[in-house]
Amino acid sequence: MIAKIVAYWQLLNRPARHLSLALLTTGGFFAGVIFWGGFNTALELTNTETFCISCHEMRENVFVELKETIHYTNRSGVRATCPDCHVPHNWTDKIARKMAASKEVWGKLFGTISTREKFQSKRLELAQNEWARFKANDSLECRNCHAFESMDITLQSPRAADNHTRLLGTGEKTCIDCHKGIAHQLPDMSNVEGWH
Amino acid sequence: MLVALLCVGLGSIAVAGEPITTLRAGALESNSPAPAMAKPINSDIREIRNFPEQPPTIPHNIRGYQIDLNTNKCLSCHSRKAVGQSQAPMVSVTHFMDRDGQVLSAVTPRRYFCTQCHVPQHDIKPLVENEFIDADDLTNK
Amino acid sequence: MTKKTSDKSLLPTISRRDYIKANAIAAAAAAAGIAVPASAANLVTDKSKTQLTWSKAACRFCGTGCSVMVGTKQGRVVATHGDVKSEVNRGLNCVKGYFLSKIMYGKDRLKTPLLRMSNGKYDKNGDFTPVSWTQAFDIMAEKWKAAIKEKGPESVGMFGSGQWTVWEGYAAVKLMKAGFRSNNIDPNARHCMASAVGGFMRTFGIDEPMGCYDDLEAADAFVLWGSNMAEMHPILWTRITDRRLSAPHVKVAVLSTFEHRCFDLADNGMVFTPQTDLAILNFIANYIIQNGHVNEDFVAKHTNFRRGNTDIGYGLRDEHPLQQKAKNADKAGGSQPMSFEDYAKFVSDYDVESVSKLSGVPEKQLIELAKLYADPKIKVMSLWTMGFNQHTRGVWANNLVYNIHLLTGKISEPGNSPFSLTGQPSACGTAREVGTFSHRLPADMVVTDPKHRAFAEDVWKLPEGTIPAKPGLHAVEQNRALKDGKLNAYWVQVNNNMQAAANMMEETLPGYRNPDNFIVVSDAYPTVTAQAADLILPTAMWVEKEGAYGNAERRTQFWHQLVDAPGEAKSDLWQLVEFSKRFTTEDVWSADVLEKNPAYKGKTLYEVLFKNGQVDKFPLSEASDQYANHENEAFGFYIQKGLFEEYATFGRGHGHDLAPFEVYHKERGLRWPVVDGKETRWRFKEGQDPYVEKGKDFQFYGKKDNRAVIFALPFEPAAESPDEEYDLWLSTGRVIEHWHSGSMTQRVPELYRAFPNAVAFMHPDDAAARGLKRGSEIRVISRRGEIRTRVETRGRNKPPKGLIFVPWFDASQLINKVTLDATDPISQQTDYKKCAVKIIEVV
Repeated sequence: MIAKIVAYWQLLNRPARHLSLALLTTGGFFAGVIFWGGFNTALELTNTETFCISCHEMRENVFVELKETIHYTNRSGVRATCPDCHVPHNWTDKIARKMAASKEVWGKLFGTISTREKFQSKRLELAQNEWARFKANDSLECRNCHAFESMDITLQSPRAADNHTRLLGTGEKTCIDCHKGIAHQLPDMSNVEGWH
Repeated sequence: MLVALLCVGLGSIAVAGEPITTLRAGALESNSPAPAMAKPINSDIREIRNFPEQPPTIPHNIRGYQIDLNTNKCLSCHSRKAVGQSQAPMVSVTHFMDRDGQVLSAVTPRRYFCTQCHVPQHDIKPLVENEFIDADDLTNK
Repeated sequence: MTKKTSDKSLLPTISRRDYIKANAIAAAAAAAGIAVPASAANLVTDKSKTQLTWSKAACRFCGTGCSVMVGTKQGRVVATHGDVKSEVNRGLNCVKGYFLSKIMYGKDRLKTPLLRMSNGKYDKNGDFTPVSWTQAFDIMAEKWKAAIKEKGPESVGMFGSGQWTVWEGYAAVKLMKAGFRSNNIDPNARHCMASAVGGFMRTFGIDEPMGCYDDLEAADAFVLWGSNMAEMHPILWTRITDRRLSAPHVKVAVLSTFEHRCFDLADNGMVFTPQTDLAILNFIANYIIQNGHVNEDFVAKHTNFRRGNTDIGYGLRDEHPLQQKAKNADKAGGSQPMSFEDYAKFVSDYDVESVSKLSGVPEKQLIELAKLYADPKIKVMSLWTMGFNQHTRGVWANNLVYNIHLLTGKISEPGNSPFSLTGQPSACGTAREVGTFSHRLPADMVVTDPKHRAFAEDVWKLPEGTIPAKPGLHAVEQNRALKDGKLNAYWVQVNNNMQAAANMMEETLPGYRNPDNFIVVSDAYPTVTAQAADLILPTAMWVEKEGAYGNAERRTQFWHQLVDAPGEAKSDLWQLVEFSKRFTTEDVWSADVLEKNPAYKGKTLYEVLFKNGQVDKFPLSEASDQYANHENEAFGFYIQKGLFEEYATFGRGHGHDLAPFEVYHKERGLRWPVVDGKETRWRFKEGQDPYVEKGKDFQFYGKKDNRAVIFALPFEPAAESPDEEYDLWLSTGRVIEHWHSGSMTQRVPELYRAFPNAVAFMHPDDAAARGLKRGSEIRVISRRGEIRTRVETRGRNKPPKGLIFVPWFDASQLINKVTLDATDPISQQTDYKKCAVKIIEVV
């Protein structure tokens, strides 16, 4: 067995003698395409709601809560899926988020939030992670759909129009500052800064 | 037998041809179509109170507002400190009084569940007019 | 109004416009040379114009019994607010209470009697036509006399409610039981509190809670058993919320068949499969015994153990297969003595594994719940309403929760309190204490006891044997008897039974429209019950008459007449007493009674029952000169005081002592027994209750041996459960914005707009599985009837899969067409919380 592996390694390690450079480059290119495609396919597969709610932790907690909210059911039927809000859309941030997600795989394996009770006790920490991320990127995932430039505030209720003009338009606040809990239930908010 | 009983009787409720308003249309045995679910009013326009002690109705949608052991969503705009940012009306001073009328430094827990007194409104015309007269209108008469 | 979005702040545009307008007026006035007086400022400062008259009253709605201050001006109610002097609510009201000012002013108030007529004559199939009170009573008396003459007193009946004032209920009982000699009088409290009464009588031998609302500030833990207090008893919920949030050690456990607003405050929220509350209650008893937490000293000194009869049926018609099958349908309330050891063995079947499996509540949560009761250091208050009472084993459920409190001795002390909440404002004060049930007399007496009858006849100065010994028809039986043509002259006051009674299409409507019957409905508004009637009597409501209510904590509260009723509307009291003038003893009593008691010959029932030297004892001068009193003007004596004082003689010295009449007009209510001017907060406890003898510590004096009973009662299934075809449980109930059938609250625009129509709350997955979504129009169908409504998958109530919840306030969607008229065989109370339905989309 070991001899076989050694022989295989030697084969792989030897420079090509019988293959043309053209074949090598085209082969390499196609191999790259397949690899890249596979990687992206995997990336995209893990970037769907179906993947997210294939775990009961998500399906029975946050997803149930989402279903009641305006981000799931609304007048026009345009809805947000999990990755729309929780995975950055540009490539580098997405990869960074995916790498961070490896921690969540550990969480799954060790059952960190495997019961409703465990989830509830972790809820504040989990929420704070997301709030911090939104705060740091100026609520980028909100703005992917809700661009201030595109808001017709004349169609908003007077108070919403006022708040958006005064706080959002001036850059004094970012979306998540006021809209915590818009898609999921809130944790114990007693010590959350800025939440009265 | 039942059908026979129902066929007789149940003349529509009417005084000399004039129908008496009731909260339903149609005979008791009929099942009228259920009206479409009314839309919540989201105007942010304050309604006049019928009298000063009346809790104001909520002029905006409160869909999904969480009021539980974790948090009170209403207070995130209407608390004393939040109104600077939100410009929403502050909960009145009565909301700071405990059972014995002592003013606390924060909203009293007995007033924690806002929707026990404050209710949102739907865009629908009442079935029956109400002839309550505002004290001011009596004054001016 | 166009919205100017360039304005950062949009609201001031309104005041700006007003400002301009005011300036324009001032400018115009100046130009015309008119001096604008100071009062032309936009504030009226003249006190004679702004002053309101404030008086206290009890809230018109639920059994909490809040006191409200009512502001009147020029004969109209113009404002209401919570009474800061009231112990019950200390200045708070719920949203309904705040809108009391408007409940009397619906445009469709009934102002004249209406009789179904064709061609100027009564016709059961005619149209409602205005008639005078004289004409109304003429036809009523004719029908009553004909029925009594033809079929005897059992062919007349009355259906009242826990919304009657104390003296109205008392006058009704007298008129029916002593006047017409018929026990066919029952209140809608039968639908509401009968199982609670059954539980009290069986366990303690005396009705109503031993504790009081003061327990709410003293308890360390609250357990809600089938009670959505956040919506149905909002002010008591504010007291629990206050306690839970201001004292961090306090815990709240909530049990229900679906998630509702109380779960928002719950430390331990449990959704159980319908009917399995019986098993959970027995599990707790078992847990207490298994873990050595029985208060042995208390149990040995103050309790007995009994094994209740089982397999007792479901209170359906005798020919129903379920009744035929039941072994003990005719001995439902029976029981035999047993030992503690046998009892312990009996409950040992209810272990945590099997009860968790049966109920669907996780074991951990069940144990957490049991610990609240078992831990001797935790003061625990159990609270329940319709979840327990509207239950085909409702009396059992009540008995079983007392078991737990008795096993641990957690009873009759501040904070240790099994507390039965009430639905109606005077279910306790009138229906129960006055005894407007078909089997009862005032102060817990019953018609079946010859001594009680003799006592009542003595107080009422009636010939011996006047009160019939046989219990009359209870609520559900009344409807069956109307349908069967056995009950022919029927009077409904102050309730809306066509919208409330279960199985309306098969068992209620047919009786009202049966050509053999004459149906009279007294109401302030044209309800669906009025619509089904032959004669409608316009009725004065709430503060349009002097009144008294008794709330769930034994508190009796009075109010004065504050405004006049509109048009020809008259109070129920006036109607009852005035109607009694239409009968002589010869019309309604048998000849032999009159032969033996010739002094009663030729007298009207008015003279016998009301002008009897007692009720008419107090002159008009004793009434307040600050307030009008229509009944006093009509009868010439202080009738409310006379009725109250005569009624009070039943309870004084018998554990139901009431204070003198005048006291209640001053106080914000007092909790009976009121002995030597002092109210009683905790009954059966030495030092608190004047009826407990010295050295007894506790004394359950309702029972002859002074011991309360711990009952061995099993889990038995519901009368109807979902199957393949009817695959969902249906539970019905209320919402905070509307009270009962909505006849008052649906006429308040703000309350109507808050919750305009009933909906079927259901689990989103149940909806999706049927191709439905929020707002889909559906038919909710049972074996008995159906309604059309719409699906609601979000909002305040979150049913589990397999259950829907439909509120019953909506007259346009009569959910009682769907509900099952199965009752608790002991209390005869209907189960409105459990039946099987299917749902079909309207396409």
